[in-house]
Amino acid sequence: MTIAPERKPFIRPDGKEKVTGLGRYTADLNLTGQAFARFKYADHPHARIVRIDTAAARALPGVFAVLTHADVPDVLYGGMVEDRRLFAKEKVRWEGDVVAAVAARTAEIAAEAVRLIEVEYEVLEPLPDFAANMEPGATLVHEAWEGYEADDSLDRNQNILGHSSIVKGDADGAMESAEVVVKSRFVSDASQGAPIEPRAILAQWQGDRVTIWSSTQVPFAARSGVAHTLQIPESHVRVIVPLLGGGFGSKCDFHFEAHVAALARATRRPVKLVFSRQEEFFAPDHRREGMIIELETGATRDGRLVSRRGRLILDKGAYCGEGGFFAQMAAMHACGPYKLDNVNVEAFLNYSTNQPSSSVRAPTAPQTCWALEQHMDEVAMAIGMDPVELRRRALIEEGAEGPAGQIFDRIGAKETLEAALEMIGYGQELPEDEAIGVACGWWPSFGSQSGAYVKLNGDGTGTIITGAMESGTGAVMGLPLLAAEVLGMKPEDFSILYQDTDAGPWDMGSSGSQTTFNNGRAVIEAAREVREKLLDLAAAELEANRDDLELVDGEVRVKGSPGTSVTIVDLAETGETIIGKGSGDVPEAPEVDASACVGRLGMESFLAPQLITHAARIKLDRATGVVRVLEFAAAHDSGVIINRMGADGQVYGGVMMGIGQALSEATWFDDDGRQRNPGLLDYKLQTVSDGPKIDIRWIEIDTPGAGPKGSKGVGEPPSVPTPGAIGNAIAKLIGGPVRRLPMTPERVWETMNGDGEV
Amino acid sequence: MTYSITLNVNGVEYPLEVDAHASLLNTVRDQVGLTGSKEGCDDSECGACMMLIDGRPVNSCSYLAVQANGSQVTTVEGLTNTDDLAPLQEAFLVEGGVQCGFCTPGMLISATALLESNPDPTSDEVRIGLSGNLCRCTGYDGIVKAVLKVAEARSGN
Repeated sequence: MTIAPERKPFIRPDGKEKVTGLGRYTADLNLTGQAFARFKYADHPHARIVRIDTAAARALPGVFAVLTHADVPDVLYGGMVEDRRLFAKEKVRWEGDVVAAVAARTAEIAAEAVRLIEVEYEVLEPLPDFAANMEPGATLVHEAWEGYEADDSLDRNQNILGHSSIVKGDADGAMESAEVVVKSRFVSDASQGAPIEPRAILAQWQGDRVTIWSSTQVPFAARSGVAHTLQIPESHVRVIVPLLGGGFGSKCDFHFEAHVAALARATRRPVKLVFSRQEEFFAPDHRREGMIIELETGATRDGRLVSRRGRLILDKGAYCGEGGFFAQMAAMHACGPYKLDNVNVEAFLNYSTNQPSSSVRAPTAPQTCWALEQHMDEVAMAIGMDPVELRRRALIEEGAEGPAGQIFDRIGAKETLEAALEMIGYGQELPEDEAIGVACGWWPSFGSQSGAYVKLNGDGTGTIITGAMESGTGAVMGLPLLAAEVLGMKPEDFSILYQDTDAGPWDMGSSGSQTTFNNGRAVIEAAREVREKLLDLAAAELEANRDDLELVDGEVRVKGSPGTSVTIVDLAETGETIIGKGSGDVPEAPEVDASACVGRLGMESFLAPQLITHAARIKLDRATGVVRVLEFAAAHDSGVIINRMGADGQVYGGVMMGIGQALSEATWFDDDGRQRNPGLLDYKLQTVSDGPKIDIRWIEIDTPGAGPKGSKGVGEPPSVPTPGAIGNAIAKLIGGPVRRLPMTPERVWETMNGDGEV
Repeated sequence: MTYSITLNVNGVEYPLEVDAHASLLNTVRDQVGLTGSKEGCDDSECGACMMLIDGRPVNSCSYLAVQANGSQVTTVEGLTNTDDLAPLQEAFLVEGGVQCGFCTPGMLISATALLESNPDPTSDEVRIGLSGNLCRCTGYDGIVKAVLKVAEARSGN
């Protein structure tokens, strides 16, 4: 079933302040008397701290405070594993570990004070090789790993922070009897979210309470982190997010808010921290993880996938952060949206002394999908079938069984495939230096608690008060569309109060493509409560039966008798308190018998999955290995699309990010695990002149378990299959896949002129 | 050592005392108090700080305030002097050229300069003209459409 709701152009309510330059981002805020913060980072990626001497730094004129681990509560924090302190104490485990923080009269004085901090180290061997770190006898990144507070489901062991498997049937037996078996190995480099706004934090205490303005995607998580690490009540911490200059996941999680709050308390002044671009690259415990991906598939000659084995190793870096779930997520993506008779995929999330990895737009998915989709094309080649035909036969559909036994409901996987093929003109004659590659992928919807209030103002307008977070996607900006529909009002009649933990109910923040999915549900429920109150008031006013009333065009009227009506303005201006609240029931992923799987974290089945097919037409310069994407087709089942302009914008942006990950974006580490390219000149984002023509089609399947109006997520899926589609196009031109991501000109050229193995 | 300079920013004269090493960007943000221009890299790589100096687009993070002494500086705040948006600002919103908005001020300045020097650009010329401005959200699609739309409307007049 497809749905085509009426759509109107939608101008985002925060648009005017953004195009006039009058909107305030965190770095634009200043408080009278503020001091400026700078951090002292680790001088070695792996070293024992022998002594920290801050005397010279403290003595520098203009320095107000210098803090180390000795100045804050000695508590560990982290997502699924509490393995980190605000300030490194016994050891530094990566170049971005914060050893000390300075607040001074100017940022220049603070930087000079940082240079005066003396740290004596016992330098240790760096452990950047995340695969070697799981071998028996490997040096431990965290000697005390066993004693950490952690989620029991992770299956931890020494340097292995998480181990998950997806297992179904007898993969070994089925592999032995398969007609065709294909094995592949791929290696992906790390990459970055790289928002254009470097992060900034401003903190000010009022008595025992602190207000923190922060460029975070997750203000409630930031509040919890501050309360936990500084050992103060959550109610004493207020986190406000001014306009946020992009995040892409990299501004998820609690990061530096507590450091700045601690400095502000110590200096008895407001303190402001603004990251340089270099810091934005290396200092956050957040980047897309490097991976080693080994896949093996057994198939019949008519394209049935009888067995999938896989072994994935992920670089967690030095600390857990919020990325503890990555092993299971990666394992699901190594299965992909395909019918597999038997499965045994194992994934290991390993500590190293590299920058920690955490969520970046669809964590683990683009690079795993890139490997799987190139592997699928190799399977197709081995059985002598067009790779598109193999996908037609193998993609999941209603009634199909997922990797761990989930039975799928209505989903549009095959529809996205056909739509992408049609848009790109698959099968057309192409010049000899051009090819079309196709890749499919998926991403789950995430159910989460979320809340909203809707109140009517005396002038008949409404205000939505929400804990949800707007990172630029437009998801929060779209909430008025939902409230307006329930109340028979116009979207522009609503203002939104958001990004203030003292105002809105708890929300998980701008992460997981779930703002509309969860907060939309809350807003609709809150608006319905307002609707009930309006019906009560109007029934009394009109002396009518409330069941006979409807809300249309800003008034409550008797159905079939439009003349008998009262406007919402008239009902609201009486001063009556008209307020609704909502959270709604959180949908859960379907139950499956995944008893054969280990490291189960709840992703062995996917709630209301989003399906994607991307197709890329590329041109290769054989002399240099330079690949240019000429045309791109993106077909998505994200359920019903509520805000078409916003949804299209996610695809345009996500595809461009995916092209970057495919061809140019990588964080290169030196042998010690230090970033060699923490800047925009050497870490190459795609520019406007790199961009191809991008065609988009939405497959609006009404999926059970979907969110408001049948919507699913939109933000992350567009970057999932992009590198795979480009990779498959390159492989067609050079006879096999480039097995390293990104597929830089050098790597394409080397693959053309070598054996291509990694 | 500080220098006395005068900057004319968006039509208003500001007599200022600046350090020799102060960038135009920091001076306009911190001393003039106009924060629309953003610092994304401090290295002329992202274009978020773009301003017009006597009509010419520059990365103000890498331009000394003393170099701009006596110049006419235009920032994003100067693109309209009324409550009405300039055509490019309006088109950016209508065409989906704005998401997080952090690159938008620099992008609008570059687009303004582009249309001044080339009132009727092709799509490729728009893409080349804006290639010094990075955007991570929009994939540039709405931005290019917006610039072409304004150019078309102007040439139609």
